[in-house]
Amino acid sequence: MITKTVLIKDTTPGSTSGTKEFFDVFTAALRESKLADEIRLVRAADIGVYNHGIVLKILPDNITYANVQHHDIKRIIGVTLKHGNPIKDLLYQPRAYQLRLVLKNCGRIDPESIDDYIAHDGYRALSAALQAGPDTVIREITASGLRGRGGGGFPTGLKWSMTRSTPGNEKYMICNADEGDPGAYMDRSVLEGDPHAVIEGMLIAGFAIGASQGYFYIRAEYPLAIERVQKAIDQAHAYGLVGERIFGSDFSMDLEIRLGAGAFVCGEETALIASIEGKRGTPSPRPPYPSVKGLWGKPTCINNVETLANVPSIIRNGSAWFSRIGTENSKGTKVFAVTGKVRNSGLIEVPMGTTLRDIVFEIGGGTASGKRFKAVQTGGPSGGVIPEHLLDTPVDYDNLQKLGSIMGSGGMIVMDEDDCMVDIAKFYLKFCVDESCGKCAPCRIGGYQMLNLLENISRGNATLEDLERLRLIAKAMQKASLCGLGQTAANPVLSTLRYFEDEYREHILNRRCPSKKCTALLQFIIDRSRCKKCGLCARSCPEKAITGDKEHGYTIDTARCINCGMCFETCKFGAVERN
Amino acid sequence: MAALTADDLAAIASRIHDQNASWIRVGMSTCGIAAGAERVYAALEDELQRQGAGVQLKKCGCLGMCAAEPLVEVNIAGMPRVIYCRVDEACARDIVRGHVCGGKLLQDYIIDMQSEDAS
Ligand SMILES: Cc1cc2nc3c(=O)[nH]c(=O)nc-3n(C[C@H](O)[C@H](O)[C@H](O)COP(=O)(O)O)c2cc1C
Repeated sequence: MITKTVLIKDTTPGSTSGTKEFFDVFTAALRESKLADEIRLVRAADIGVYNHGIVLKILPDNITYANVQHHDIKRIIGVTLKHGNPIKDLLYQPRAYQLRLVLKNCGRIDPESIDDYIAHDGYRALSAALQAGPDTVIREITASGLRGRGGGGFPTGLKWSMTRSTPGNEKYMICNADEGDPGAYMDRSVLEGDPHAVIEGMLIAGFAIGASQGYFYIRAEYPLAIERVQKAIDQAHAYGLVGERIFGSDFSMDLEIRLGAGAFVCGEETALIASIEGKRGTPSPRPPYPSVKGLWGKPTCINNVETLANVPSIIRNGSAWFSRIGTENSKGTKVFAVTGKVRNSGLIEVPMGTTLRDIVFEIGGGTASGKRFKAVQTGGPSGGVIPEHLLDTPVDYDNLQKLGSIMGSGGMIVMDEDDCMVDIAKFYLKFCVDESCGKCAPCRIGGYQMLNLLENISRGNATLEDLERLRLIAKAMQKASLCGLGQTAANPVLSTLRYFEDEYREHILNRRCPSKKCTALLQFIIDRSRCKKCGLCARSCPEKAITGDKEHGYTIDTARCINCGMCFETCKFGAVERN
Repeated sequence: MAALTADDLAAIASRIHDQNASWIRVGMSTCGIAAGAERVYAALEDELQRQGAGVQLKKCGCLGMCAAEPLVEVNIAGMPRVIYCRVDEACARDIVRGHVCGGKLLQDYIIDMQSEDAS
């Protein structure tokens, strides 16, 4: 009869055989203690702890031990497995933990079943809100300290009360699911995994501001999210939770989906409204804000997916419960899409105030390659990079802003020593240049000029004055652009300049890219001593710049070489050198 | 159908909670599907039927560990509830034969995460 299960994982970086070895020793020890039939040993693929030697998790006791040595096995068997007592000096104390409020149902319930959602407290908040009345709802949301998760961090309760207090008997609620930041997919995941939570948030918001119609603005590249939200709306309709006289009350509200064509600027609220109206998706000056003059000229409230997904649990558990989580000015949790050179690419949800180091190393597991961490990018094309020495900063709206980045919607891209900061700046700026709608000159022309300067730097054709030019144009774009896209487009350039100016200077003064990323500054040569004369490089070269044969070996004609790096990638023997 | 009342919510909830205690869940959001979750789901469905195992097979969203998809969570009465990662069709069949029918956890596939759930 099996009474306990022990999960085993060697979390030492680079270790491949540690888990198996420990498992075998442990198995023998159990047999010796005549416990082989009572204890189940399992080698885990991943135990959620990193860089802590051998880690064990004992179930059902839920005890985790870290840095376990072979000589600890006896104690573990005697104290914990036989008697269920923990061993203090082996206990693992997590420095950081995830707290799943927004993602609480994601991966737990069937997103296509309204009954499953209801079984997990679903629509109870809506029912309570309808009884409490709009003023109480707004008071609760205001007291909770919830701020918009779409990037701006505007207090949600204040936005609702402004929209409510604008006179008018026709108002609109919009859920912003445009999610255009490269690397960010938190909203998609919430819509796919728990669509009813966002619908419930929409209905509560609509009730609070006095709307009778709501729109989900979802980008067309999210077909599964669209399908599940539509299915969820239909199910809610069938239950009378969307439509006329919801829960038998006087409140009626309909929900519809509008598709976006995947333009980044259409995530900006005024452009989004124009897009729903069937116009070209370009921003217009604010004020008037949407809360005064929004969709079809009527008072409109726009909230992000994650903001709305927070609403039902705040109403259910109360504002005091929510405002206990997080920091002084940033309450609750934040979902991040952690991607790039990180071991565990995925979504994590942590309380506000968790440090970047804990997010990247404790939960993310550090760099995937084991190479040196260089920086983490937050806030997407409107944000910036944060270098290693600032990793202990607790994440909240204000702290990230002070560091020259922003919270943004939650994209977080981890970079290691192979990433060149000039190249990164170029990537984000190119994104904004591509996505600029072209309506205002600072964004349209400024972005293009900055990109040209960056191109020159990455080719070694720049001077130090160009750094000043970059800063000057950046300032003009920040001050004079019409919408957030242009106002923040320079941030990735400014923040890389702020923390990695040395790297820029190295490109300019020594025509060298320290990360060996900017191919124009590299030279490729074949090391004859390592070359096996296989000819793969010559075949991979798109310019036929590699000549030779299997007898005499190969050489690269530097005059014809375009520095694409194909030969470097192709060579299995490391014989192509990059300098 | 008539509009729901607050009491109906409780009735629906208790009906769902009374259902089969043993279940298997497959992560079927974009990340899971891209990694092959649909094939895994089909293999589980087929193998459960072959073995005649009375276990409920369900779809769910993304647990957040996207790099480790496809993820399959298994809850069989009397055994620890675990999540298997990077599951392929062969592994899916092993889950049914070994874990569901044989009472054994699979080696080298379990993934665990440190998290706290709030109410
Ligand atoms: C260029 C640009 C793109 C934006 N993209 C998004 C987006 O994809 N999703 C989003 O929720 N907000 C986006 N925003 C912010 C919205 O304008 C708006 O502030 C937000 O949807 C308000 O919701 P919240 O208060 O709940 O955060 C973007 C803003 C700008 C300037």
